[in-house]
Amino acid sequence: MSPRPAILEVRDVSRSYFEDSREVKVLDVIRFEEWEGDFVCVVGPSGCGKSTLLKIIVGLDRPTSGEVLFEGRPMRADNPQVAMVFQSFALFPWLTVEQNVAVGLEARHEPADEAGALARKYIEAVGLDGFENAFPRELSGGMKQRVGIARALAVEPLLLCMDEPFYALDSLTAQTLKDEILQLWSNPDLPPKAVLMVTHSIEEAVYLADRIIVIAGRPGRMIAEVDIDLPRPRNRKEPEFYGWVDEIYSLIV
Amino acid sequence: MGSPPGTRSPTEAVNSLRPVPAEMSGGRLHGRRLALAVLVASLAVAIAFPQQISTILAIPLLAAFSLGRMVAAYTLAVAFSIGVGLAATSSRRAASVLLPLLDVLQSIPIFGFFPAALVFFVSSFQGHPIGLELAVVFLIFTSMAWNMAFGVYESLTTIPRDLEAAADSYGLRGWLRFRRVTFPAVMPKLVYNSMLSWSNGWYFLVASEVFTAFGATHVRPGLGAFIAEAGITGAADRIALGIGALAAVVVALDVLVWRPTSLWAERFRLETTGRQVARVPGPYERLKWLPRFLPIRTATRARLRPVAVAWRRISARIEKVYAVHPDVLRRLAVINLAMFLAIFAVVGIAGLAALIALLARPLPAEAQEIPIAALHSFLRLLAAYGIALVWTVPIAAWVGRSQRASRFLTPFLEVFASLPAAALLPAILGISIVIASAVGLEAQLAALLIALFSMQWYLLFNLIAGVRSIPADVEEAARAFGLRGRTYWKRLLFPALVPSLITGSITAWGAGWNALIVSEYILFGQRIYRVTGVGAMLSEATFATPPNASLILLTVLTMIVVVVGMNKLLWRPLYRRASARFRLEVE
Repeated sequence: MSPRPAILEVRDVSRSYFEDSREVKVLDVIRFEEWEGDFVCVVGPSGCGKSTLLKIIVGLDRPTSGEVLFEGRPMRADNPQVAMVFQSFALFPWLTVEQNVAVGLEARHEPADEAGALARKYIEAVGLDGFENAFPRELSGGMKQRVGIARALAVEPLLLCMDEPFYALDSLTAQTLKDEILQLWSNPDLPPKAVLMVTHSIEEAVYLADRIIVIAGRPGRMIAEVDIDLPRPRNRKEPEFYGWVDEIYSLIV
Repeated sequence: MGSPPGTRSPTEAVNSLRPVPAEMSGGRLHGRRLALAVLVASLAVAIAFPQQISTILAIPLLAAFSLGRMVAAYTLAVAFSIGVGLAATSSRRAASVLLPLLDVLQSIPIFGFFPAALVFFVSSFQGHPIGLELAVVFLIFTSMAWNMAFGVYESLTTIPRDLEAAADSYGLRGWLRFRRVTFPAVMPKLVYNSMLSWSNGWYFLVASEVFTAFGATHVRPGLGAFIAEAGITGAADRIALGIGALAAVVVALDVLVWRPTSLWAERFRLETTGRQVARVPGPYERLKWLPRFLPIRTATRARLRPVAVAWRRISARIEKVYAVHPDVLRRLAVINLAMFLAIFAVVGIAGLAALIALLARPLPAEAQEIPIAALHSFLRLLAAYGIALVWTVPIAAWVGRSQRASRFLTPFLEVFASLPAAALLPAILGISIVIASAVGLEAQLAALLIALFSMQWYLLFNLIAGVRSIPADVEEAARAFGLRGRTYWKRLLFPALVPSLITGSITAWGAGWNALIVSEYILFGQRIYRVTGVGAMLSEATFATPPNASLILLTVLTMIVVVVGMNKLLWRPLYRRASARFRLEVE
């Protein structure tokens, strides 16, 4: 493992809900780290608590026990170094594309013209130039998620967190977006430095990640941490690729 | 009908108001015809009733007085509802106090506040007209505020969780969050409920501009007073004139204020997920059928532009201030609330003091009539509710789904609904006398009709909104699986309607109890039309000289008990069960 300090430490995170004074455990002692330059995917079947895990990691939810550290300090939801992309896009329907992208900058009290310039830069980076003044409801699903990604990039985060970002998209659009995310991640001039993504698709995870955290069961337990050392760009047709997919599949089942 | 695909944004649609050419020329023609009709009608009235010219000239002034009261009450109601909504969503403890309190407040028949408010405002201003004005404004406020407050609270609690999470994770806080998340999310419901509140407000304005208390009849100049006085003297022409003027004011406001505002609020509707769905004409787009009055609108918009610019500038400044004092917004909400709660506390204490005084004295002789009277009133409302249900459910299902029905029926429905039942009172009574005086039931019929007119619109418009809220894909799925006729009703329409039916019923019944006081005891053409009921008892007690305080209190208490009881034992459990089972998920 790398000698550098981890940017993200997930330390023995557990989460329970209380329903009619009955404890329902959804996550059981999850522990992993992420370093700068990592692309980590959390994989598991639906209902294993992986989305809850991501919410806890970005500080939108609290663990029942354990803690999440970002650069050595407890994670806060409004941490400017961490940006989130949502499965449902979670765009503000009443704001234009540019206003949506600039929202995180506005929250940091950036001057309006600088925020606008930065927003337009990332709108262009995700290929949406020309749509700055459109409203989300006028965009297709793929374009909406591009806005979501641009919004996340605009705050120039160290860590980009994504919750099933390709779930609501058709597979062609999803594939294009995956490659674009990989490009952004590997481009040293553009954020983010590290990506953490939650997905239920093993293939997607093997295609994207350096490292895969496999979670399964109810409550969700960490079954394995797998390093994927396939060269990039990865080819889904190769037997090695499928070897990894099958191995992780057999871990879950 | 849906907006054309492509890049035309809702704002653009509102700003440019670029209609289809044919429609535009039709609109212009309509506008000219309308102006001509108004001119001819007013000339005709002037020629037919030359002695009335002075009153005709006075009418705009009276309308302005009435409007001023409405605006004052509405401003207060907006401040109140946003304050309550923010406070109730920001802290669980506040919610656990505020929501039940609001609940009780909204269950109190509006006229139940009136005697207490009168005592408070009149005595603290020593009978000065300002005190009377304040009492009227307070009464209108109480008729506007609750549903708006609940609307704000409801929209704040139904913001999609992911959107909140996005706001959290991008650090939207304080004023910025208010401007970017809270305010827009609240907007559609606030505008919609504002429209309801305004029609509510007109009702109580009309009913409260003339009142008898402390041994004298107080008249606050306004359209309501004009109609009421015309009713008392039985002057049909003046009744018609007053109702016409009121209708003109209400419709003009709808055209010039509410329709543009609600179109604008459309862009704030939450509709983030999934693919493009054909935009359904929302319940907010009222009065589409009227001419567009383009010149007036353009002029108004040009006037308002500096306001928008100023608002943007101010809000940038507020943001800066806010960055320094991050708790300002919450504190503002608390101060705002504290102010209102203080007023309620004073009014409430006045009421309690009266209650204690009442308990110290023996009950008035009329007290034992109350249960029977309450039963009569209840049955009357039940009948009106039944009639309303029978016609509103099918009409709503029809209007909500068929473009054509909507186009043909909405004009009638909207104009009718825009008239407060209290203003229609003289007309309804007149009709009842014609129909039923032979069998001696004219007072009963009038009371029933007024209750019906007070209740039915809430049901109808809630139901239409319910029909339109069925997501297009669910509707398509139903069609794809061949759901038709009874199965369609059973499997889709009825379940989808249940929540809005219940919400509509709660409001309708509230309005019904409110209607009792004006409908069961009517002074018309030197005669009193009275039926058995708590409303009649409350009216008599309020208008007696001196007012019968203990009887007022007893009847109001009776109404509160019945309304709260119905809400708690019937509507609330129904609603809970319905929203668990029938709610159409947004996400």
